[in-house]
Amino acid sequence: MRNIVVTGASRGIGLGVARKLSASGFHVIAIARTSGAELEAATAEANTNGIGQISFYEQDLSRIDMLSETAHALRKRFGLIYGIINNAGLGTSGLLCNMPETEIECLTQLNIVSPLVLTKHLLRSMLVARSGRIVNISSIVAITGYQGISAYSATKAAMLGFTRSLAREVGSLGITVNAVLPGFVDTEMTLDLDEAARRKITNRNALRRPTMIDDVASMVDYLVSDHAQGITGTAMVVDAGTTA
Amino acid sequence: MAMRDTIIEMMTNIAQQQRKPLAPLQDDLNLLSSGLDSLCIAILVAELDEEFGIDPLSSTDDHNLPVTVGDFIRLYENAMQ
Repeated sequence: MRNIVVTGASRGIGLGVARKLSASGFHVIAIARTSGAELEAATAEANTNGIGQISFYEQDLSRIDMLSETAHALRKRFGLIYGIINNAGLGTSGLLCNMPETEIECLTQLNIVSPLVLTKHLLRSMLVARSGRIVNISSIVAITGYQGISAYSATKAAMLGFTRSLAREVGSLGITVNAVLPGFVDTEMTLDLDEAARRKITNRNALRRPTMIDDVASMVDYLVSDHAQGITGTAMVVDAGTTA
Repeated sequence: MAMRDTIIEMMTNIAQQQRKPLAPLQDDLNLLSSGLDSLCIAILVAELDEEFGIDPLSSTDDHNLPVTVGDFIRLYENAMQ
């Protein structure tokens, strides 16, 4: 069973991706600071179904100094790592002019530095296997504007540059690197949007419905599958037509 | 197999797989002139980590990075002791 790491897997998109990939036969290593009832339920369900598997691994990803050790521990406990879904991140909102520097630093640390460093260390397994999958969860705000999230948008745009250049660095080894750009999904991260703002976004969508977690998880599931072995360096928008 | 022989064999195999012409691997050969590019070296380091569970490069200061094939082999031989 192929091992695939999903960061920020205890809730929201990460949890949806963990569920989907385990149902597709992967052994999902779900990384989060704490597990929580939803991930525990998903783990029990996956491990009962017998198709895939979910294992929880506790790690605060803002501890950059620990990530090398984490990668070694994962390799030792689970074997070679086939892929990584860089999903964990902060969704801090607020006008830039009012945002404390410490918040900007926390955002860039967890949303940019952490996935880069973790990917660096987990790439070792993929270099050895001469195959692998890396999927970076970005956002449509990397390519379109929305007020009050300029710092967050900057971190998500950074993931696009990372995706494209890393795809070129490791492409000759059969390792693919892609980004998924979800629209506004109802998760804890978007809860600070008020009802009117959410309705406005949904009404502007071509499909007249919000982006669902399962829409995003299905795209990730495709990108890590053997069907997507010819796709790398791309930015896949999954937004129910928000940017159409 | 001795560490030296393992490293030479891995370098040869990686160069072959990555279609890089490899210079005769002597101790005084500069790594950058060996024919292996930075990706090949990254694969080599990953394979050695996989085989022996060590990564002496990650704990090496920039000014102590191996320059020649001999430096590289000695770094790993010392790390194994």
